[in-house]
Amino acid sequence: MADRLLFSKTGRAKYISHLDLMRTFQRAFARAKIPIKHTEGFNPHPFVSIALPLSVGYSSQCEILEFGLLEGTSYEEVPARLTAAMPEGIVVHQCYPAQRKLKELASLNYIMNFEYPEGRPQAAEPAMRELLGRESLVVQKKSNKSKKGYTEVDLISLIRGWNLECQSDTMTLDAVLSAQNPGLNPELIRAAFCQAYPQFAPDFVTFHRREVLDVEGKPFR
Amino acid sequence: MNRTLEHILPNVQKPARYTGGEYNAVVKDKQTVKTRFALCFPDTYEIGMSNLGCRILYGLMNERKDVWCERCFAPWGDMEEEMRREGLLLYGLESGDPISDFDIIGFSLGYEMAYSNVLNMLDLAEVPLRSADRPDLTPLVVAGGTCCYNPEPLAPFIDFFSLGEGEEVTLEYIDLYQQAKEEGWSKEEFLREVAKIPGIYVPSLYDVTYHEDGTVAAITPKDGAPATVTKRIVQDMNKSYFPVKTIIPSTEIVHDRVMLELFRGCIRGCRFCQAGYAYRPVRSRDPKLLAEYGKAACEDSGYQEMTLSSLSSTDYPCLMELCDDLLDYCAPRDIGLSLPSLRADTFSMNLMERLQRVRKGGLTFAPEAGTQRLRDAINKNLREEDLLQSCRTAFSGGWSGVKLYFMLGLPTETDEDVLGIADLARKVYFAWRECTPNKARGVRITVSTSWFVPKPHTAFQWDAQIPVEEYQRRVNLLRDALKRDKSITYNWHDPETSYLEAVFSRGDRRLADVLEWAWAHGAKMDSWSEYFDFRRWMDALSACGLDGDFYAHRVREKDEVFPWSVPSVGVSRDFLWRERELCYQSQTTPDCRTRCSGCGANKLLTGGGRCG
Repeated sequence: MADRLLFSKTGRAKYISHLDLMRTFQRAFARAKIPIKHTEGFNPHPFVSIALPLSVGYSSQCEILEFGLLEGTSYEEVPARLTAAMPEGIVVHQCYPAQRKLKELASLNYIMNFEYPEGRPQAAEPAMRELLGRESLVVQKKSNKSKKGYTEVDLISLIRGWNLECQSDTMTLDAVLSAQNPGLNPELIRAAFCQAYPQFAPDFVTFHRREVLDVEGKPFR
Repeated sequence: MNRTLEHILPNVQKPARYTGGEYNAVVKDKQTVKTRFALCFPDTYEIGMSNLGCRILYGLMNERKDVWCERCFAPWGDMEEEMRREGLLLYGLESGDPISDFDIIGFSLGYEMAYSNVLNMLDLAEVPLRSADRPDLTPLVVAGGTCCYNPEPLAPFIDFFSLGEGEEVTLEYIDLYQQAKEEGWSKEEFLREVAKIPGIYVPSLYDVTYHEDGTVAAITPKDGAPATVTKRIVQDMNKSYFPVKTIIPSTEIVHDRVMLELFRGCIRGCRFCQAGYAYRPVRSRDPKLLAEYGKAACEDSGYQEMTLSSLSSTDYPCLMELCDDLLDYCAPRDIGLSLPSLRADTFSMNLMERLQRVRKGGLTFAPEAGTQRLRDAINKNLREEDLLQSCRTAFSGGWSGVKLYFMLGLPTETDEDVLGIADLARKVYFAWRECTPNKARGVRITVSTSWFVPKPHTAFQWDAQIPVEEYQRRVNLLRDALKRDKSITYNWHDPETSYLEAVFSRGDRRLADVLEWAWAHGAKMDSWSEYFDFRRWMDALSACGLDGDFYAHRVREKDEVFPWSVPSVGVSRDFLWRERELCYQSQTTPDCRTRCSGCGANKLLTGGGRCG
């Protein structure tokens, strides 16, 4: 099986797109002089693959990248050397041989921060609790595959658990969401909330991936 | 990161262009530097980050402890809209601070169609557009780049222009600025002093008067400003700064690769080519040094591609040696090596095979004209047989596509010359039939024509651009001639931007009002079809009472005072006139290595250096 990196992507690096991030890693390995496996074929290039693409603008402390470390570099030295070759905001925490399959990666823990710089309306909290407490919450989601241009998803069935905390000018939703087949982008929760309660629409929402989890809710590595 | 910026970035396309933080971006403590410089490129991040000159200046300035140079690009429309709505001022990418707080705002001017972006960027920074409306020393608004050889349309907006290569003069004027700031000089005092630095042109120190017919009567220097400002050059390319360690964008840019600058200048002397005259004299870098730079730049960047850059790479004396050296490094690492600016006449089998060792790029030749007579007239000393031989070599080697670039409307062009383009393209097609190892694969021959724009400081600076109807007629002539050739695709450049280029490249100060009018009515990003509006520019010209044809389509008298009479590229006006006369006799001038033609640029080499 492949080798893996656990890395975070925060600050200015939040805005690097998925494709650009792959290119950044390919170059960073070369800059750090860490030889990695290349793809085969007519136009060989360094092989890297990111487990669960992160939306542009989201931060994360638990990104997983797969690649193949060639002989000559130990796992221990990779994080520091690679981080030194990275743009601001990307920090590599661990490098290790993969022990389990990616399909065992079941859910993602997101922190969504709803910002109300003018002060949070008192009723925003019960509104969110009401929304997430529903039996089902079917929303339309853009889809290129569907002829209609969208598909319908029940958000509630893809939310594994949540916790809501409020301060005077923010509302923080700590939620565990299905990661794949199908995965749930937390943006849909924001959109559903703003649609159901437009009067409580926040000024801005930040999204942060805190942990990747297996079916038992333990960190996946 | 700034909260406002963070809130608007999710609403714009390709936000990584606006964040900074790339690998090798230079971040300093603003308390410890004396001078903050905003290096502004009046186009998008993707275009500006591909500019080698900007990378050189960025590296050079930031090597100094007391200077912090940051980058600034023109935001795309969606970002501009958000910035204006949220009141976010144009900022330096490294610090996020508004550039209006910087000491010097410097623009790189590479093409006329970016002028509207200069004004728009100043406005986004809330810096008054006109120099006269900025009474204080700080911020200074300066500009460099090839457009500065006729900067007149921008004269009222820019405090001073830096002519030629910026490696030395930039540091010199920063020194003077620091002294001015410490000693509390006024802006006027500073401008009078900075005009004494060779290569610095302060437009406000010149009075321009006009004849009734609109031509310039006189340009009068005042307050001790020099009558001629000669461009600066780097004397020794082996000692000049090369940006080995350079910013690696986190998002894709146009030229996303290591750029290795072989030499400056060009030995050829094509009569239409401003770069060919303006970058004289020829100065080469040592091949061993280049190979070292190239390898070091690959190691530092992690790039998988390298390109050799110059005006005519096959004229580099040690090209084979350099390619061999670089390929020994690149091939085992799967690094692609590309070589643009090849001349068809010297393109050898040998060189092609070497490049093929890694990856096979496209093949592009620029014969510029369709007949030998016209090629001689413009001094593009390329023989048809050499071009065809190069194509045969390429086709036998497995290439199956060639792009051919031409210009329509060159001085002395006749219909015979236009139809000659079609003939030449057909001959290239037959060369393919004759030589290809694989006929079934087919061939793609692309012929592209542009509308010739006469440029200042060239042999054709006196000549008229042909009228648009005539250009269109010649396009149709060629299009009809190529109609039946299925393997030949014909593309032609739309005439509108070429017309405005012709107006602005040889324009005078009065065009500043046109520029400001067009900007005030929404002009920006004029090199992008999404934004370009020809009507708006025509309206701007008539609103200011000026006739674009006067600038574009008029033949000048031999002794006319040109608006660009003060800036000098080191090539004498007499030489350019002789070259023009030779053109009208279809006579060629040998390249600089075969025989020195006495253009005058060798005088720029202090200490009696030779071109080479």
